[in-house]
Amino acid sequence: MSIAAPRYGGAPVARTGRIYRLLTIFHRELLRRFGLGTMLVVALTYLAVTLILTINIEFASLTGTLSLSTFETPYASPAWPFLMLIVATSVGAGSIAEDVGNRSITLYLSRPIRRVDYLAAKASATGTWMVIVAVGPGLAGLAVALALGWAPASLVLSGAGAFVATGLLASVFFTGLALALSSLTTRSLYAGVATFGVVLSLEIGGPLVSGLTGNTSVAYASPITDILSVAQSAFGISGPYATDPLTSAALLAFAGAFLVIFAGWRISRVEVVGE
Amino acid sequence: MTGIVDADSVTKRYGEVLGLNGFTASFPPGITGLVGPNGAGKSTLFRLLSGQLRSDAGTLSLLGFPAWGQGEFRRRVGYCPEQSALFDWMTGFDFVATLLRVDGFSRPEARVRAARAIETVGLTDARDRRLKAYSKGMRQRIKLAQCIAHDPELILLDEPLNGVDPVGRVALSGLMRQLSTTGHHLIVSSHVLYEVERLTEQIVMISHGQAIAQGDLHRIRDLIDSRPHMVDLETPDPRGVARLIGAWDHIVSIEFTGPEKLRVLTRSPDTFYAALPALVVTEKLTIRSVHSADDNLDAVFRYLAGGGR
Repeated sequence: MSIAAPRYGGAPVARTGRIYRLLTIFHRELLRRFGLGTMLVVALTYLAVTLILTINIEFASLTGTLSLSTFETPYASPAWPFLMLIVATSVGAGSIAEDVGNRSITLYLSRPIRRVDYLAAKASATGTWMVIVAVGPGLAGLAVALALGWAPASLVLSGAGAFVATGLLASVFFTGLALALSSLTTRSLYAGVATFGVVLSLEIGGPLVSGLTGNTSVAYASPITDILSVAQSAFGISGPYATDPLTSAALLAFAGAFLVIFAGWRISRVEVVGE
Repeated sequence: MTGIVDADSVTKRYGEVLGLNGFTASFPPGITGLVGPNGAGKSTLFRLLSGQLRSDAGTLSLLGFPAWGQGEFRRRVGYCPEQSALFDWMTGFDFVATLLRVDGFSRPEARVRAARAIETVGLTDARDRRLKAYSKGMRQRIKLAQCIAHDPELILLDEPLNGVDPVGRVALSGLMRQLSTTGHHLIVSSHVLYEVERLTEQIVMISHGQAIAQGDLHRIRDLIDSRPHMVDLETPDPRGVARLIGAWDHIVSIEFTGPEKLRVLTRSPDTFYAALPALVVTEKLTIRSVHSADDNLDAVFRYLAGGGR
């Protein structure tokens, strides 16, 4: 084994900027989450959404009923948002909790990066995965329909806008939720269960409380209901909506942003304690 | 204080437990050994220095910067943590190169430096293996590689030889000495005292979260000279010898540790060693051996940590 200390002669090496360092963590985190389970859920989502979308587009095209609202079919049930939830749990729940739990976060925090950069990289990686699963499948379905000549380009463009808008809102919310819960614990399992549990209890509890109390505004507490309302509105469906789409969109965006800020606050206070 | 690292009354609590308790020390340039038993507060100090913990009281600075925070000065610091959890999904090479890029090196430069650092710690053959397949000793070495790869001015090594095989220990100790001769400052913690003793004479001793002694080994020995000093004597007439030396006023206690063995505790070792030969001659005593139980660093530490008792 060699014992010679490395020699770094010559002129001082120019260092890259903050964004580059942040991107390094982002890139590593993105690759880290390429698990078999996650990939299966993502593949299933693409397959299901593309199939549902193209079949409906072809049918509407044949019957002459093709419109923007035809593209809403993947959002006709909570199935897609639930698949997003599974991916958020899979990629986001361990994002911070694992690093803090096994204290490997020390390897990053002892470097010249700010804690907010660390969080931004983690949020970007989780957010990217969410965009892949929340925006990508709709665009893929539209691309197939366009390639097969089943839908005109102008309509596909409008549909793409609606998929992007709805998918981004869902991505922001799920990213924020997964990161916030991940920052609260040192075990990714707990964060994952909490992420799933929070959404499920809001999904089940919201309508239940709403029905019992007659207070319809409780429905806003259910993120999946909010996503579906936004989708219906974005794809030009005239209603009635379970919640006001604009309010739901604002709530999803605000909640997502707030939860990311909360995770940032937690990260700024993280102290890595020994065994 | 104007050391590479300065700590002034630093206190860190973990709930009811005190990790550091008014720790005050100044770490000079070169290699300094941070010596103390497990639980003494060594890792707490290192975590404070690497910006992962915030002190509850006191001031702690490294290279003139406050220890809490992730400023650009961190690129001048290399940290080798005690824990063995790494980014296990990466290969050894990716691990070092990634952290170099987080340090701000371009991808090509990071690759060159990572290869060089991995070669330095003798892991070139295993560089493309995933870290989860690394043994404990290999993990220690790859941690050291990421710690030195960016050529930091100050290197913090928390129990760096823990789990390393004997041959590796010698090699890594040599590397540390070599780093210190090329302008790097090292703070090396260990609870294995002889390892530190072989690395440096510059020591900070820590116990119960406090610095109990600081300086080179000679200064620390001077410090304990004012405290009771233990001397083991071997003689066929322990009772006779005990009776004679027991009359000296600097003797604290005499213990019979065997049929022909005595352990003497003296407040003035110099006087003791000066007077003993004269006593042997005048009283015609037979003393087969004289051994100071405080010759090694381990004993020095026990002395200081135990308040000289």
